[in-house]
Amino acid sequence: MRPFQLVRPDNLAEASRRAKGDKSLIKAGGIDVLDRLKERLENPEKLVNILDLKTDLSDIARDGATLRIGALSTLAQLANAGELEKSEWHAIRDAAGKTATPQVRNRATAGGNLLQLTRCWYRRSSSLGCAHGGDGPDCLAQTGENRYHAVMGGIDCFRVHPSNLAPALIALDASVRVRNDKDERTLTMLELYPEEPYADEAEHTLVSGEILTEILVPAQPAGSRSAYRDSREKESFDWPTTSAAVRMSIDSGKITDARICLGAVAPNPVFVPDAAALLIGKAPSDELFAKVAAKAYEGAEPLEKNQYKVRLGQATLIDTLEAAAAR
Amino acid sequence: MAREEYEMKVGFAADQKTVKIKIPDGDLKPWDLDTKFETVGTDVDRIDGIAKATGTAKYTFDVNLPGMLQGVMLRSNIPSGRVKKIDFEAASKMPGVRAIVPLKDPAEGRRNRVRWVGDPIAAVAADRREQALDAIEKIVVEYETSQAVIDMQDGEDAPKLEGGEITSPWPDKGNERMEEALGECKHTRSGTWFAEVQTHSALESHGHVCSWDDDKGTLEVWASTQATFGARFGLARALNIGGDKVTIHAEYVGGGFGAKFSPGTEGVACALLTREAKAPVKLMLDRFEEHTCAGNRPSALMQIRAGIDADNTITAWDYRCYGGPGYRGRGGRTTFPRSYLEDAHVRATQKDIATNTDAGRAMRAPGWPQGYFAGEGMIDALAEAAGIDPLEFRLHNESEKLREAEWRMGAEKFDWAKRWQPYGERDYGKRYLKGAGMASAMWGQMGHRGRGSPNAVKVRIHADGTVESRNGAQDIGTGMKTVLAMLTAEELQIPVGTIKVTMGDTNDPAGPASGGSTTTPSLAPAARLAAGMAKNELRTLVAEHLRVEEDKVTVENGRWGVPGGKTLLFEEACKLIGPQPIEKVGERTSNYKGYKNNVCGCQFAEVEVDTRTGFVRVTEMLGIQDCGTVIAKKLAESQVLGAMIGALSYTLHEQRIMDPKSGRMLNGDLMMYKIAGAADMPKLTAHMFPVANGKNSVGAAGLGEPPSVAGPAAIANAVANAIGAPVRNIPITPDQVLAAIDSKKGGK
Repeated sequence: MRPFQLVRPDNLAEASRRAKGDKSLIKAGGIDVLDRLKERLENPEKLVNILDLKTDLSDIARDGATLRIGALSTLAQLANAGELEKSEWHAIRDAAGKTATPQVRNRATAGGNLLQLTRCWYRRSSSLGCAHGGDGPDCLAQTGENRYHAVMGGIDCFRVHPSNLAPALIALDASVRVRNDKDERTLTMLELYPEEPYADEAEHTLVSGEILTEILVPAQPAGSRSAYRDSREKESFDWPTTSAAVRMSIDSGKITDARICLGAVAPNPVFVPDAAALLIGKAPSDELFAKVAAKAYEGAEPLEKNQYKVRLGQATLIDTLEAAAAR
Repeated sequence: MAREEYEMKVGFAADQKTVKIKIPDGDLKPWDLDTKFETVGTDVDRIDGIAKATGTAKYTFDVNLPGMLQGVMLRSNIPSGRVKKIDFEAASKMPGVRAIVPLKDPAEGRRNRVRWVGDPIAAVAADRREQALDAIEKIVVEYETSQAVIDMQDGEDAPKLEGGEITSPWPDKGNERMEEALGECKHTRSGTWFAEVQTHSALESHGHVCSWDDDKGTLEVWASTQATFGARFGLARALNIGGDKVTIHAEYVGGGFGAKFSPGTEGVACALLTREAKAPVKLMLDRFEEHTCAGNRPSALMQIRAGIDADNTITAWDYRCYGGPGYRGRGGRTTFPRSYLEDAHVRATQKDIATNTDAGRAMRAPGWPQGYFAGEGMIDALAEAAGIDPLEFRLHNESEKLREAEWRMGAEKFDWAKRWQPYGERDYGKRYLKGAGMASAMWGQMGHRGRGSPNAVKVRIHADGTVESRNGAQDIGTGMKTVLAMLTAEELQIPVGTIKVTMGDTNDPAGPASGGSTTTPSLAPAARLAAGMAKNELRTLVAEHLRVEEDKVTVENGRWGVPGGKTLLFEEACKLIGPQPIEKVGERTSNYKGYKNNVCGCQFAEVEVDTRTGFVRVTEMLGIQDCGTVIAKKLAESQVLGAMIGALSYTLHEQRIMDPKSGRMLNGDLMMYKIAGAADMPKLTAHMFPVANGKNSVGAAGLGEPPSVAGPAAIANAVANAIGAPVRNIPITPDQVLAAIDSKKGGK
């Protein structure tokens, strides 16, 4: 990494002020950011270390019917949080607990997980300029080595969004609190990600100086249960090849409400209400779940080397539906 | 040389032989089947285990010298071409830069070629690593690019492939006879296999700390190396100074796996930088360089056609392999199992295809895991053609008595009969399918005397009772130091813990490069001999002290003296030693005739396949392995366990993924280069199979390589057994498993 000034703010307002401008970078757990610095992918003049504000931003607590998750809560905290044992929020535990390694989970933050840079190997190479990094005209994955890339939602960039937590939070209809040095605003989880993920869009929609402070998970409809599952090539420290999060409510054996979000298959987490709608009014069954999975991946456009992800993604979704229904 | 003749009982319980061997004068009476051991063959903890686990063991990476500079290399970013011009002007003015050495010469045809992304161009030493990194960015290189071949299938000599099968004609040479042999078979099978490139991924990357003394003209080096003496030779030659001017230290080495035999360009660069800067320089490769510039296990595209007669005996075997060893275009040879082929007409053809990628290097049993993956896969296909259990088929065709015993032992311990799924259709409606596979191993390394100065070990016994065992070769992590300690303990009848072992300093006696599983069998007899010679010397002192004849003095139950008379404890005997310790050097002698010249071994694997996701989980592996005399049982088992873990990782996960356009490795890190981790581990069991081989006074045989031969084939065969269809590409990824299941379903 190149030399930079390490800023250790006393409060969020100061952090936000110091983080403004394209020469600053915010660091929380540092899992993603330090890699980017060491590989000289990014060379900020200032690094604003908000991890210093951890005591204020790492609570996981109920506030009435809402669950508030401090953005600096670690994935390990989430994976073990008693509050999340309740079946309706269980997808969060599933997702946090399957991420990376115990060491990483003890350090990585919830906010960082939601805002991290794609793991696309073209974007992350300091010497291969691609459209997403801004150093080249094209998506190199589109015609290159794309076995782990997007099978849907790609426009001119076929990265996949790497967050495990995001699909779970979208399935649970969560929102995030974001602030700068003056104002605060609330974004739905879907609004946190670009509507149209062009190559020149960042992975998220926060503007310079904005800091994600809190995740708000609302009360779920009565009878809700949720789950997150993913497919991967190995059990220890691997990135999902596909993932899915499901929340469903079951009343008298019939599904009365459902939300589904797919992960690791597109530049954004993919919310699929049409597929979820097929569940309503039906009893859980193999045929139903297969139909829903097919619907979720309808219109998928895989690249040369990732056709397998369509089939695998459907399998993962079926797994997730089964897991949620069984809770 | 005078030789003494001994009668020895060699072999193993079910195959004992008495052989007469002549041994050189002064060598110890060899251990054989009747030898009763005190220490040898027991479970002793690695003597440096605590130091390694607590971090007090200092690896090259940990060496920091006063005033030390940091070295970094500039490497080519193009896969093929020539360096036309290098301009160091701006780089030399960068802050902290103390030395720059060019590693390409634009003016010289042989030294300006660029052969892969990663080819070294220059090296810089600066006060801090970041300064060196800044400086290499300022080196201006003008390239002339040329057409590169990244994928071996794009190479000129690549065979034609259709639907995963090689369709190019078989070679003319010997073809008529081969076709005839195949024509006479009752059943024939053919298939194509492919194994991807695997990188060594040693935890400690390649690198050195070099310190030049300008007054003395000497070079002191800390090296992460598999060959201390080779490093001395290579660096002395690179600096054009005498071998006496170079000292190598390699007390701890963080893995090598075959990629660390020479000092490499990075070692030469480090030595040139320290001489130029007149300050110590550390130059360790980063992880990307380690993946892309430090060697790999070459890829292999293999095809076999083979057949059996009415008696289920293999009578024809035609093997061809196209190796993918990178830019050098050689070193991609593979080896297939031959112990089943005694009655077969066999042909083997090898061709390497050059690519503009990093060159392959030796990697733990170079070429064997690939060839056995294909070969043992074919054995299973033939067993199915015969309609008999793969174990029975192997036992029928096996020509090695030793392995036959190992097959039986392994099959029983693994409960093969219960785990193997009979031939027939699989129920893909089931979420999880289990299956079992097996494969053989083979290696032949009984150690050697060494060239020039013989391999030798020095033992010192001090007056305070301290015992040292010293050798200048390296312990690359196998536990060689513990082996030396145990042999010394056995001979002197003292506890292992009292022995201090020093390895990895070229001022000590010579030892081999750790390759081909040579270190233990080459050094063990020397270690035993040195201890035996020191013991005799101490016995002389005891005899003088007790005023008895020397040959009356024995060592029994730790007491030195005349049984029934006056005896001394070891510590008491040592007090007879003066200020000059007893110091003896035991030299390795040449091998004797002995029992046999190879080791065998076999492994078994069980897998569980998720038919929905294609995910393969290895649930259990079992290895049976012989290595002559088992010296350090716990460490020997650890070699087998480690090899099985490596096999699992190679078979299911590891793969060098190249960008077809830029020629750059895309997963050159430890995040996307997938190595099996703790959560992927199956139940692992290793059983050593002791054999008295009589090849030297200890009877040790090499163990590094043999257990890494069978694993990939055993796992691949287990996957095929589980899903009823083989996946013939390593790594066996979920997408391929799903495709194999689909093809089987479609074929119904």
